Amino acid sequence: MKNQKTYSLPVSPFAWLCAIMLLCCSFGKLHAQAVKTTAPVKKDTSKIKDTTAAAPGVKKTSYVKNTFEGNYLIDEQTVMVPIKGTFEFDIQHRFGTVEHGTTDLFGIFASATMRLGFSYVPVNNLQIGFGGTNEKMQVDGNVKYALLKQTKSGSMPVSITYYGDVAADTRKKDNTTLFVSTSDRFSYFNQILIARKFSDALSIQAGPNLSHFNNLQGYLDASGNVMPILKNDNFGISFSGRFKISDESALIANYDQPLTQNPANNPHPNLSFGIEMKTSGHDFEIFVGNYSSLIPQNNFVYNQNDFKKGQFLIGFNISRLWNF
Amino acid sequence: MLVATVMTVGIMSVAFTIDQQQKPWPVPDKDAKTANPVKSSKETIAAGKALYSLHCASCHGKAGLGDGNKAAQLKTQPQDMSKSDVQSQADGALFYKISEGRDDMPSFKKKIPDAEDIWSLVNYVRTLKK
Repeated sequence: MKNQKTYSLPVSPFAWLCAIMLLCCSFGKLHAQAVKTTAPVKKDTSKIKDTTAAAPGVKKTSYVKNTFEGNYLIDEQTVMVPIKGTFEFDIQHRFGTVEHGTTDLFGIFASATMRLGFSYVPVNNLQIGFGGTNEKMQVDGNVKYALLKQTKSGSMPVSITYYGDVAADTRKKDNTTLFVSTSDRFSYFNQILIARKFSDALSIQAGPNLSHFNNLQGYLDASGNVMPILKNDNFGISFSGRFKISDESALIANYDQPLTQNPANNPHPNLSFGIEMKTSGHDFEIFVGNYSSLIPQNNFVYNQNDFKKGQFLIGFNISRLWNF
Repeated sequence: MLVATVMTVGIMSVAFTIDQQQKPWPVPDKDAKTANPVKSSKETIAAGKALYSLHCASCHGKAGLGDGNKAAQLKTQPQDMSKSDVQSQADGALFYKISEGRDDMPSFKKKIPDAEDIWSLVNYVRTLKK
């Protein structure tokens, strides 16, 4: 009889499975214990900037914060200049007027104006920006500087900021445009913004301004002289308000009043109101108003939407902020 | 045999995961020992609450329970600030973590550059304790 060698597992398959299960459980537990018993790493703190200590003997001026939530309050700028290093991207949109009702869904499906804008704060209190709008294919450059800031002590009761922009009509010259020379394409806007934060909830702002157009349409009188329809320089003033209803939301309102009397086609004032919602990186505003342009001088000189006739339009502003 | 196989596969699928809340976050001694220079008061807590609502609630939740609407998208579970894991840490440690950030937790020292504001935020976090 031959001696047959046989080979077999020393334990059953079931036992092997149990062993694998126990091994997996043990491995997970041991790994967690390894993490727990690792000594905390001492980091070299010599290069970590101490953000807590003020210089000895220096009294730091304490300014009122968040007079407004962002750069825009519907059609107006606010006194706020974001902190140094902030880069902002703005999307602004104004739909058609609501007077046609459901025919164009209250202006939402009518022709619209929109602007894409960018701004950056390279040094404290100074913001520079540029943008483009589909209205007459204008491009604009702007600057904003916080001249004075309201203090908590009351020694400075208001914040005062300068805002200015220059816009250029970049359309090709044709029989509908008024360009003779390049300078005819330019218009300018200068504004002083004065605001006070009355409480955590309420802030009010006033903004006298001056709009200038290098070139405007005129007409020939009986003697053949060129006469103006609108003046090249137009003064105006805006009033804006924000009332917070929660930490992230606020009711906002604007009233803009042109002041200069023109020979004809005097612009109408603007009344707008809406809601603002802010998050860590975004600022949203949705509102109704009369101003359809996204270049302020166009609104103050050319607006023909009359709120007394119900010529309102829906609009929104979206801002996205990054801190570099 | 089938039951044992299913149990094995189930246990193996979770065995190698690490509980993210247990991952330690060392704080330099100097920062951990820094005292809070902003006294806790109605005003500073209100200031901290406003900042919390704006910057923190989306991940940490309105009551600080780690249940914000963005929490599910994160790799790291946001800390439950009502628990002793957070409340037992010194003010300086909380200040450091808010300023410096780590992984899914952003650094806020540029977005909130004023140290007084971050200390006020720490004062508000203390009110979330259960």
